Amino acid sequence: MHLLLLTADQNTPFNYFPVALQLVIAIGFVAVMMGATHLLGPKRRTKDKLVNFESGIPSVGNARQPMGIKYFLVAILFVLFDVEVIFFYPYAVNFRFLGAEGFKEVVLFVAFFFCGFLYIVKKGALDWED
Amino acid sequence: MPVSSTHYLFLSLLLFSIGIMGTLMRRNAIIIFMCIELMLNAVNLLLVAFSKMYADADAQIFVFFIMVVAAAEVAVGLAVIVMMYRKVHSVDINILNRLKH
Amino acid sequence: MTAIIATTVFGIIMMFTGLFVDNKKTVSSIAAVLFVALLGINIMELSDATGPALRSMTLSLLGTADNTNGAFPQLLFNNMLRIDKMSMWFGTAMTACTALYILLIGKEFRKVGTHVAEYFALIFFILCGLYILTAYNSMLMLFIGIEIMSIPQYVLAGSDKRNLKSSEASLKYFLMGAFSTGILLMGITLLYGATRTFNVTEMVPMLHSESLNPLAISGIVFIMVALGFKVSAAPMHTWTPDVYDGTPTAFTAFMATIVKAGVFFAFLRLFHVSFGNISEHWLMILAIVTALTLLIGNVTAVYQQSVKRMLAYSSIAQAGFMLFSVLAVSSNIAWNGIILYGVAYSVATIGVFAVLVKMKDYTYDGFNGLAKKNPLLAFVTTIFLFSLAGIPLTGGFMAKYYVLLAVMHQGNMMWLVIFALLMAAISVYYYFRVIIAMYFKQGDPELTSEVTMGDQVLLIATTIIVILLGVMPHWFLMPA
Repeated sequence: MHLLLLTADQNTPFNYFPVALQLVIAIGFVAVMMGATHLLGPKRRTKDKLVNFESGIPSVGNARQPMGIKYFLVAILFVLFDVEVIFFYPYAVNFRFLGAEGFKEVVLFVAFFFCGFLYIVKKGALDWED
Repeated sequence: MPVSSTHYLFLSLLLFSIGIMGTLMRRNAIIIFMCIELMLNAVNLLLVAFSKMYADADAQIFVFFIMVVAAAEVAVGLAVIVMMYRKVHSVDINILNRLKH
Repeated sequence: MTAIIATTVFGIIMMFTGLFVDNKKTVSSIAAVLFVALLGINIMELSDATGPALRSMTLSLLGTADNTNGAFPQLLFNNMLRIDKMSMWFGTAMTACTALYILLIGKEFRKVGTHVAEYFALIFFILCGLYILTAYNSMLMLFIGIEIMSIPQYVLAGSDKRNLKSSEASLKYFLMGAFSTGILLMGITLLYGATRTFNVTEMVPMLHSESLNPLAISGIVFIMVALGFKVSAAPMHTWTPDVYDGTPTAFTAFMATIVKAGVFFAFLRLFHVSFGNISEHWLMILAIVTALTLLIGNVTAVYQQSVKRMLAYSSIAQAGFMLFSVLAVSSNIAWNGIILYGVAYSVATIGVFAVLVKMKDYTYDGFNGLAKKNPLLAFVTTIFLFSLAGIPLTGGFMAKYYVLLAVMHQGNMMWLVIFALLMAAISVYYYFRVIIAMYFKQGDPELTSEVTMGDQVLLIATTIIVILLGVMPHWFLMPA
């Protein structure tokens, strides 16, 4: 378990014993279950078993159809806005230390951000019906 | 076996090399793109390891910037790939030879 | 500093202009006004920094009050930006080139696509990256500057959405650009591992020749390769011809000139300030890269059939000359050399592109007989091509003279200088092919748009700048 540790000050390897135990049990459980179903279960090799199971309804067509470009656009915009939030973490940690000056700068950051948001709303990137 | 920053250096360089090889050898634009992301993440890992080694937070802030810029690049890059896909219905970069004379 | 803020704000203004103003002509006019304002802001800032002569001149021109603070170089944001006179001078020169570019080629944006305001906004953002690159003092700022410059370029390259070649250029540029960014970041990280700092000046004492950390050397090589990608130095140049060819011509003119000069300034700054003391470890690699760039750029340009593609290879060849200023580590005229070269090359190339966007056929044959059809257009093209080839009395000659002189001061590089002169002789061949086509061949070239009175005046003004650069180069250099 050393690989997971950057600092070993207060953490001795022994502290991780429960985690190791958990891992062994988890892997063992999966192995036993898979082995058991394989050995105990009845074996029927029919054609129906190879068909996708769709709640009993026969499946229709191919699932890999092109999706609307709207999903893509919204996903991309989400990624952008989501990741920018990362800058709030260092700010939140140093919130007290940075004081009013830091607050002003964060407000400025959010204002620029808001400009981008206004722009995409005005551009109609978030309209679902068109 | 204690883990020193040298181990992180080698792990990170290994990931970076996998990224470079993937970028140079694969033909699918999306996979090339993922390999580039792997390169960036190798760098992130190394930066965090160095940050811990030197007890210096600058490198971690650098990691944040790399992540954000990578996200911006993803946005533009995926848009370009989608634009390309809508035209030629493929993301294979072997078809990108119309510009060669 | 004001320039960085101003260009960002102007970019956002342009974005919203695109939303609220439908008339493309109005959008272009607003953009032109903003670019001139940006140039004004740059000159104001510069006049604060440089001597009283220039300041009183500008102040009397603008009629504003004196508000000098006199503390230069300015260190901002915990030493992350270092704005000194040189960086301001270069920033102002590049802004002036951009203003010229907008005036000459800005009209052509309307033909590329519908999002004219966004194109202008992207160019403002690229300029923001350029200002950061002229003033960075931390590796973080170098990285951010390069990215702010690159990402809008990927969009501009693919802006002609109907054209498959444009999308292809965009994808290629994006993949190569992102790849080189990864390499740059690895270089920066290794260097950080060796020196414990991202600061460009603070890392200097950590880099000794006697006890150089292997991490530092590999970091420097990684950074060199990545910046080589960005400035299209051989053997990292392979993307350049395809991308420049596929990109709409109006934007190629910007990407091949101002952006490239900006990255070169950053290149020079890093390698002179940070790695100057340990130059014996990287100088030879860079010299070989330079020789290879000159060879590949010039020789391949000879075989091109399209003038646009020839200009792409010529930009590789010119990058070879600009690399000389990076090579001249111990010379104090290298900085002036890169400024002069950047301006001379940008102005001449923008001029050629301004003519090229008016042509219907981009092959050499498309230029046949242009001298008869439009003597002025043929004449200005000739002067611009003279400058690119480095014929005396034009800007290109003085620029080449400066960078080669800088390397000769350095010593030990005589073979490279002679090789460069040989390559410059080859370049005359392919530049003159255009001139021969225009003057000595029969044909009826088709123009896509009318050459208006304004175009003529601007083209003549550009020609005068090119000649002034050759005759009075010290006007364009920073007053000592």
